[in-house]
Amino acid sequence: MRPSLRQTPTLLRRAAAARNACLATTTTIEASAPATRWQSSSSNNTTPPHNTPPQPHPNSSSVNAAEISHFNALAATWWDAHGSSRALHLMNPLRHDFINACRSSSPTSSSTTTAPPSDPKLRYLDIGCGGGIFAESATRLPTTLSVTAVDPSTTILAVARAHARKDPALTPQKLQYINASIETLPQDQFDVVSLFEVIEHVDQPADFLDRAEAFVKPGGWLVLSTIARTWTSWFTTNLVAEDIVGIVPKGTHDWYKYINEHEMRAHFEGRSVRRLGITFLGFSGWCRCIGMVLGLYDIGRNSNGGCWMAFITHYYQSTKAYTYRAARYATLT
Amino acid sequence: MESIIRRRAAAYVCRSCTRQSQRKLLQQQQQQQRQQRTYSSAAPRPDIYDVVCVGGGPAGLSLLAALRSNPVTSHLRIALVEAQDLSKTKSWALPPTQFSNRCSSLTPSSALFLDKMGAWAHLDRARVQPYHEMQVWDGVTDARIEFDWARDAITPAGARIGTHQQIIAYMTENLNLTSGLLKRLDQLGGVAVFDSAKVEHISFGAESETEDGPDLREWPVVHLAGGAQLSARLLVGADGANSPVRAFAGIEARGWDYGRHGVVATLELEGHADSWENQTKVAYQRFLPTGPVAMLPMPGNHATLVWSTTPENAALLKSLSPTDFIAMVNAAFRLSVTDLAFMHSPACTSQADEYAWRLGHTSSPSNHKALPQPATAVQPGTVASFPLKMRHADTYIGERVALVGDAAHTIHPLAGQGLNQGQGDVQSLVRTIEFAVGHGQDLGVRMSLEPYLAERYAANHVLLGVCDKIHKLYSVENGPLVGVRSLGLSAVNGLGGLKRFIMGRAAGGVGV
Ligand SMILES: Cc1cc2nc3c(=O)[nH]c(=O)nc-3n(C[C@H](O)[C@H](O)[C@H](O)COP(=O)(O)OP(=O)(O)OC[C@H]3O[C@@H](n4cnc5c(N)ncnc54)[C@H](O)[C@@H]3O)c2cc1C
Ligand SMILES: C[S@@+](CC[C@H](N)C(=O)[O-])C[C@H]1O[C@@H](n2cnc3c(N)ncnc32)[C@H](O)[C@@H]1O
Repeated sequence: MRPSLRQTPTLLRRAAAARNACLATTTTIEASAPATRWQSSSSNNTTPPHNTPPQPHPNSSSVNAAEISHFNALAATWWDAHGSSRALHLMNPLRHDFINACRSSSPTSSSTTTAPPSDPKLRYLDIGCGGGIFAESATRLPTTLSVTAVDPSTTILAVARAHARKDPALTPQKLQYINASIETLPQDQFDVVSLFEVIEHVDQPADFLDRAEAFVKPGGWLVLSTIARTWTSWFTTNLVAEDIVGIVPKGTHDWYKYINEHEMRAHFEGRSVRRLGITFLGFSGWCRCIGMVLGLYDIGRNSNGGCWMAFITHYYQSTKAYTYRAARYATLT
Repeated sequence: MESIIRRRAAAYVCRSCTRQSQRKLLQQQQQQQRQQRTYSSAAPRPDIYDVVCVGGGPAGLSLLAALRSNPVTSHLRIALVEAQDLSKTKSWALPPTQFSNRCSSLTPSSALFLDKMGAWAHLDRARVQPYHEMQVWDGVTDARIEFDWARDAITPAGARIGTHQQIIAYMTENLNLTSGLLKRLDQLGGVAVFDSAKVEHISFGAESETEDGPDLREWPVVHLAGGAQLSARLLVGADGANSPVRAFAGIEARGWDYGRHGVVATLELEGHADSWENQTKVAYQRFLPTGPVAMLPMPGNHATLVWSTTPENAALLKSLSPTDFIAMVNAAFRLSVTDLAFMHSPACTSQADEYAWRLGHTSSPSNHKALPQPATAVQPGTVASFPLKMRHADTYIGERVALVGDAAHTIHPLAGQGLNQGQGDVQSLVRTIEFAVGHGQDLGVRMSLEPYLAERYAANHVLLGVCDKIHKLYSVENGPLVGVRSLGLSAVNGLGGLKRFIMGRAAGGVGV
């Protein structure tokens, strides 16, 4: 069963029952993932926050106040490489590998023999930049012209700005932080628009993606990554990280908001987006992140020259299971 | 050479081109500062570098040549600080029949690494001596282990330069290596060299007063005698066993002194130099209760001696006449432990006479390769000694700090691994920096440096431990350990697999 993007979803109870059933055998992977919350703007299936005052965000329908307050709590330790954001630090290099794989796969950069000797430098837009882990790293690359990084949380942006000062290479000309949500951001076009670990935290992801797409230059890339809604991700990000070890505050992850690859695939089917990439991430221990770009698939063609879209799915799991899954996936597609 | 490096660096590193202009600049800055009456520090605004390497020994120079020759890291802004005058090192030259007493064996994997960075071609190859065979034996029990590449042939993966297969190691003078590295650096350019410049102290940077100006409070600033200040994204301590960088980072180095000195000397061996042509050479090492004595082949009829012994014996050896010294060296490989002990005692008045007499009463092994050629002379001024110690730093990394080579670890020279460990460190650190740069990471932060620590620490620790244990095992003259160790060497000799493992290690094939 492939739930479509805007289909009203979710038999939450069924999902919860399935989760309970799975608790005994947490090593079971994926199976049939429970239904999604891909839905239109009106319905709301997250419980409202209890003790956190909602932050007002005028005309920003994608911003969920409860989500923002969770991230504000993480702000102080954002750049502690052994703190709550360690997973983001570890997976960050893989994002660059993934973008490189995407860019070198697009016909515009690979098949045109008359291309100028060196690609012009790239402009990035990083939406939901957080403390700036990806934004800073993109700025340092010699192929980058500039990075615009936005986040709706003022608390986190203050951390991002303070941290950027620690590296004189990150000049305000090259790296600009803007306190905005996608709805309030002035229209512009970029070579790479990134949405890393953000989509699972927004309301109305479908509308959100449509808006993000408008910021991509024709022929540019929209790159996003998110946690797949699998049993392993529930186990690692919800149960272990929040409840048992407590490295991230409770409520940081709403497992029901996780999105699976086929849902993403279905969402973009037949639209102006023509390509889908899949990466698997595995964590070996707490100190290494391994990953693999499994391939880029054409999922529909459009004559009006839309952007490319690439998607990273994280499967939090041991190296062994990761290798197994990667192999299995490769033979299926 | 400095001038050349500096000139080449000029386009890139304008401020530090010459000491002169630096001094001028400094004065200007100080003047400006007085005029502006800033409240921050009274010091001049520091020069900002991606990598500041303190120490221009084998480890530091390899690091810089590798970074400069790597396309991913070649754009980095790099500075080298070295207390000695590097122009002397670079122009170092000796007649073909004379050899410096500080020699090291380079494993094939070190040589391959040096080749990749384009430095190997700059070594004077006529002064490099490969060897294919090792003879190691116990002075007390005579148990032997022979390492012969031709017979036990294994080739460590990737350890090949051209046709130089099956080589255990290359003997080189340290100065041949450092001079070759400097020539390569000269060719590559782009390094701001501060030589004859001692590090005075290291502090942290300051926060700029403007709101979005840089905040360098976590950046190390190296202050040189003479006033220059270098801010470092990454400060590399390649500054040897007494590393000031390690002290700055507050990293403890633990270990012990062996109570032994390493006596070194350049020897001439029996036979005409020409008769050595095209002969494969053998490295010899005999374990004596006072420590191992090694004779390592150099080109022609030359060899280098490394004799670990008690400080008293070392003092005696250094005081002997050349003839008596040679007699002692030959005795160390041929006579019994008891004979040797007597020759070290005050009762012995002429080592040369004593040796001649005692040799006549000692049977020699039938295999002519089992013993080194007798030494006939020692090159004047080459007898020297160094205290031996074992040290291992608690960690190799800190925030914006990395240690390589002897700054990170000092090993007993019995396995000839010290310099090679440093090359392994550098190789790993360059890989780590390359990854960080290629992925937009700040190359100086601890997070970016973690892979270097993970890759090197355990490997070095094992090797330090093994050499330490071997030293201790063989420092005993009698008792149960002697039986164990003779069993040890004979058993190793009989076990092909284990021996191949050891040979792989010696040749650096297993990542040591
Ligand atoms: C007797 C003996 C025999 C050996 N034999 C072998 C062998 O056969 N094979 C082998 O692999 N290894 C051998 N070694 C070990 C080898 O010599 C060392 O491991 C190697 O030289 C270490 O290189 P390095 O670059 O780390 O440090 P070093 O060679 O010690 O270089 C450090 C540099 O830093 C500079 N420096 C220090 N402090 C400052 C400062 N404050 N400011 C500026 N500059 C500074 C110094 O001037 C020096 O140039 C032997 C060692 C001994 C003692
Ligand atoms: C898990 S963090 C990821 C941060 C960053 N992209 C990274 O990977 O390092 C999610 C971020 O998304 C931001 N966010 C939440 N809702 C958002 C929305 N509707 N629009 C843009 N950003 C949002 C949060 O403030 C938070 O900083």
